[in-house]
Amino acid sequence: MATTQPDLLRGLPDDEAARVMALGTRVSLPSGSELFRLGAAADCVYVVERGRIALTLPIQVGGRDEDVLVEERVVGQTVGWSGLIPPHRFTLRATAPLETEVIALPRAALLEFFAAHPAAGYLVTRNLAGVVGQRLQVFQAMWLREVQRVVALRSS
Amino acid sequence: MVMFLMVLSLSVFGVALMSIAFAAATRDERPPVEAKPAKQLVAQVSPPQFFVNDVAMPQPRVPLEVLLLQIERHIRLEQAAAESFVAYPTAASLHSRTTSPLVH
Repeated sequence: MATTQPDLLRGLPDDEAARVMALGTRVSLPSGSELFRLGAAADCVYVVERGRIALTLPIQVGGRDEDVLVEERVVGQTVGWSGLIPPHRFTLRATAPLETEVIALPRAALLEFFAAHPAAGYLVTRNLAGVVGQRLQVFQAMWLREVQRVVALRSS
Repeated sequence: MVMFLMVLSLSVFGVALMSIAFAAATRDERPPVEAKPAKQLVAQVSPPQFFVNDVAMPQPRVPLEVLLLQIERHIRLEQAAAESFVAYPTAASLHSRTTSPLVH
């Protein structure tokens, strides 16, 4: 069980956070199992309760696709925000490298709750923007570093 | 007149005979150009041998598992560098050097 409030629910009063979490269902993932695959329809957003989730992308090595670790999510962190952001398709593959538990929060239930509790919806959306923004900024910097290397190679 | 024609034809025949003999004596003894690719082909298909320098040896390939670990390490290092930049954005931190084996 997560000891601190999940990053998605940061700032919510404890009782309201508990009500949001109660919308979800606990999913147990044995070591090596898949939570979702790249390109699958994203109907849920997940909060890691125990263990760890590895997010991978396929890279072609030696003529075949190999999953390469891109990010890891640990207890209290959110996975699969594509569940709340159109076009609702997962852009990574998520697996459990060890025995893991997540809370799956269905989009339909969340949106219904936010409609009834706009203040909670605003806070969750702001937290979600933080998760998305962090990903964007980090990957933008990683991309620029690679471009810089290409430029250095071309000019050498 | 007949005598003259006879001498002339014999002279022409003699000159032609000498030309053929000269050409045969000075013929190029080098092998034809087509022989070279055949030799190269033999060199390419023959197995690598010691003390043979002109045979192209295949480059040692990195095992797939090692390469995947190197890619993963590269991504982790790059992610750490990028997170450092996001926390304290400067041009220097954006283009900080990496120890990734994929780059060096």
